[in-house]
Amino acid sequence: MSASREDNTSSDAQLSPHFRDLLDSIIVDIASECHRIAKLGLDRNLEDEEEELRLSTQARVRAADPSNSGETNSKYVVDIFGQTHPPVANEIFDCMNCGRSIMAGRFATHLEKCMGKGRKARSKAARSSTAAQNRYSRGSPASTYSPYSNSTSKNRLSNGSTGVAGEELSNGTSEEP
Amino acid sequence: MRHSVNRPPTPDAAEDQENVPTLQEIINIKLIESGEKERLMELLRERLTECGWKDEMKTLCRAFIKKKGRNNVTVDELVHVITPKGRASVPDSVKGELLQRIRTFLNSAAL
Repeated sequence: MSASREDNTSSDAQLSPHFRDLLDSIIVDIASECHRIAKLGLDRNLEDEEEELRLSTQARVRAADPSNSGETNSKYVVDIFGQTHPPVANEIFDCMNCGRSIMAGRFATHLEKCMGKGRKARSKAARSSTAAQNRYSRGSPASTYSPYSNSTSKNRLSNGSTGVAGEELSNGTSEEP
Repeated sequence: MRHSVNRPPTPDAAEDQENVPTLQEIINIKLIESGEKERLMELLRERLTECGWKDEMKTLCRAFIKKKGRNNVTVDELVHVITPKGRASVPDSVKGELLQRIRTFLNSAAL
């Protein structure tokens, strides 16, 4: 065992120049990459980094300051730019679908109901989506394609996309593969 | 038989003595020709990135650039800055793994 260890160390001396070669190439790559980034100014300016460090320590001090503690005491939280935002966005504008005056923070909810309506909530949308499901269903017992045997339609549908199979069957033509 | 068949192989004997490849050169050639050198390079790159060595080197570069000013730095200077630290701070496990790979390769290449 000691003989093999000696072998290893002596061959290490032979092999490490190659390792060193590889390492040197990688070092040159890294140096070249950093040089490029520096020359092109892609790295955020180094002076900016110091500025940001200062600002972030300032903000941390302000955040730690008890007179500013946010959510529990006051309604409004102060962000890092010193701005305050109400919990619900309160700018008011008109909905382009129904024309009502809506508050921005409530707009998404409003749109869900607003765009889903003809008269009743989501009836039109619901009807069209279930119709689509029936058209493209895979061999379901409620399928409208009763003229064709179940096995045939299953074979067809397993080959291609449901869209294609659906269209073929609805046209009443059959192309045997 | 023609005398030309028996002529000595080129290069002739005088050149031979200058150009006998060293063992290191032979090893290098074998590594490159088989493509193993590329693979080793990629492996080493990956390991050095994983263990944070690459980021350390980049930090050293950035510090140096900051000190000297962005436009006064050459690639050469950066190489000289990070080479000593870089060579010294490669983790032993990484170096060991690479050397083992080279050793295995040479054994299998029946050198």
